[in-house]
Amino acid sequence: MSAWSLAWRTVVHNPARACLAIGGVAVIGALLFNMLLLSRGLLVSFRDLLDTAGYDVRVLANEGSPIHRAPLAGAPSLAGEIERLPSVRRVALIRSDDALALPPGRDADAASVTLIGSTERQLGGAWDIVKGSTLPAEVHPGEPVPLVVSTKLAARQRLEPGSPLRIRVNLAGGASVLPSVDCRVVGIGSFTFESAYDYTVATTMAGFAAAHGAPDGKDEADLVLVASAPDAGPEAAAKAIAALRPDVRVYSNAQVVDQFNARAFSYFRQISVVLSTITLAFAFLLVATLLTMSVNQRLGEVAALRALGFPRRRIAANLLCESALLVGVGGVAALPLGGVLAIVLDRILRAMPGVPERLHFFVFEMDTVVLHAALLTATGILAALYPIWLAARLPIAATLRKEIVS
Amino acid sequence: MVMAAFAVALAAAAAAGSSSPAPLPEILLSRQLAEQASVRPGETVTIAAAANGAGAKQFRVAGIYEPTPDPMRFTSRRIEARLHLPDLLAMTATPEDPSSIEAVKAINVKLVDPKEAEAFDAALTARVPGTFSRLTARAQDGSDPFAVLERFHLAVAIVTVIGSTAFLLALMVMRAEERREIIGIVRLIGVSQRFVLLVVLAEGLLIAAAGAGFGVLVAKAAEGSVNRFFQWRYDTTLVFVRVTARIALQSIALAVPLGILAGVVGSWTLLRRDIVSLVRR
Repeated sequence: MSAWSLAWRTVVHNPARACLAIGGVAVIGALLFNMLLLSRGLLVSFRDLLDTAGYDVRVLANEGSPIHRAPLAGAPSLAGEIERLPSVRRVALIRSDDALALPPGRDADAASVTLIGSTERQLGGAWDIVKGSTLPAEVHPGEPVPLVVSTKLAARQRLEPGSPLRIRVNLAGGASVLPSVDCRVVGIGSFTFESAYDYTVATTMAGFAAAHGAPDGKDEADLVLVASAPDAGPEAAAKAIAALRPDVRVYSNAQVVDQFNARAFSYFRQISVVLSTITLAFAFLLVATLLTMSVNQRLGEVAALRALGFPRRRIAANLLCESALLVGVGGVAALPLGGVLAIVLDRILRAMPGVPERLHFFVFEMDTVVLHAALLTATGILAALYPIWLAARLPIAATLRKEIVS
Repeated sequence: MVMAAFAVALAAAAAAGSSSPAPLPEILLSRQLAEQASVRPGETVTIAAAANGAGAKQFRVAGIYEPTPDPMRFTSRRIEARLHLPDLLAMTATPEDPSSIEAVKAINVKLVDPKEAEAFDAALTARVPGTFSRLTARAQDGSDPFAVLERFHLAVAIVTVIGSTAFLLALMVMRAEERREIIGIVRLIGVSQRFVLLVVLAEGLLIAAAGAGFGVLVAKAAEGSVNRFFQWRYDTTLVFVRVTARIALQSIALAVPLGILAGVVGSWTLLRRDIVSLVRR
């Protein structure tokens, strides 16, 4: 009989014990799997989110804190300079501000929104039109400001393409004294960066300036988005822009992700490391204790096998296989269980204010499954070491005598 | 109290003991900034509000302070300085905007009765249009990031409890199995099933209470290490873990009944078995 068969029979002989042990490993394994997903999930999701917008370089003003950066002055001319670089394919200007969306005649339905002004009519994956049309290329004088509103805002304010809407911009840090401007909804879109608690409205740069009481337009932008030429790549484009304009800050998507990793994501990474370590230690204790107790209960059996001529190696292999069965079956069961748990935990964390609805904290990656399997395998081997040592050092005659006497 | 926060750039740290006859205005530097710039109290520093160093002014470092820990910003380095408000306004004011010499971003207000915050906000908005007040207390609608983190940690704790229960049950089943013959003999000499169950309950209570107490002690001992690690990692005095009496009692209240239950469930199959099968006859 092979070591695997013997281990299988031992496990099946005590089904309740085996089920509980496998259940324990599965639950702890699921938690470990989740912590491993969390250790990279937000980064992977954030990178995907940045990449879906179709731009891979971001240009910001040099002044201000990383959170409250000052707007870029002379943005159209800066965009023109950048666009002429051979490593650049496309450039877009972005401005954003807080505003109030007021459906005419329904003041009770007013909602605070994030107003985005862009030179792009449809910002790649940053917003996708689900109804109506995208922002028009040109707006004639006297026409209402065109808007693309998010699906959530459209549902809340019962807006359809063609619906009138008034927008009043909030001045920084205070109640707005600006008059509201007449707008018209041209499309309803799904915004990638919209959070659960936010409503988003996009318009043209001219519309954004009009909402700020400057119908002739301002030459400021919060952000210049750049798509690098395919043959140059984002790093080369970022370098070229930084060389062209040393007075601005230039980040490729990879650099933005690195900064995010070093600052905002740091807490979740540390938490996942701490909890992964604890869950591994717990899994080790669980398997080691169960195997040790199992060996202690079967000392007579082990001694008899040794007396029959079973070598130490065979006994060790048997225990190792038993450990592998418990950890292996538990580890496999941990994957679907971990998947369900990840959905629950992800939903909890995504309720955090300001987190885009499409950002996920837990993202499935094949590498994580491999790491999970490797860690559980190592834990199973380590947990089997002490019981193996106990069984291997067993004095055969004394144990058999003790067993008979008892 | 009036406060304003502006980003300032430390242009250079000059040698100690300025030779200027007029006393320099004073400045406080955060510990992190002082360490980064290798500046000590009494030294002179040059500060500019603009990145290009325009309008730079010299200050004497009056002291180094530890920034108040802020859970919302603990991952960022606190490179900060505190100036007297008139000194700061003199640096940031622009001639094009005469009102900038007396402009601040925020005013901290302590109300006599915090319950009157709503009335205060209404009165403020009515008297000074264009301003608004914001409570410093945590939001109660569940949107507070710390409430979200609390829910996340609670969910992880629940999963851990489920895993631990399975572990405990497996151990108790094995332990009961180990004592099968003893229970059989005890039953044979006339001890009632009820008495054996009471013994199992008492044993479960003792083990669970001891285990829960030990767990609380381990958590209390680990509290310092975890705090020290994260405080070192993020260079902050923020307290990350605090084992309070309430948390300890919650853990014990959860662990003890679970331990007793695991003991009873583990022994239940043996107690229901017939005596002869227990003694393997």
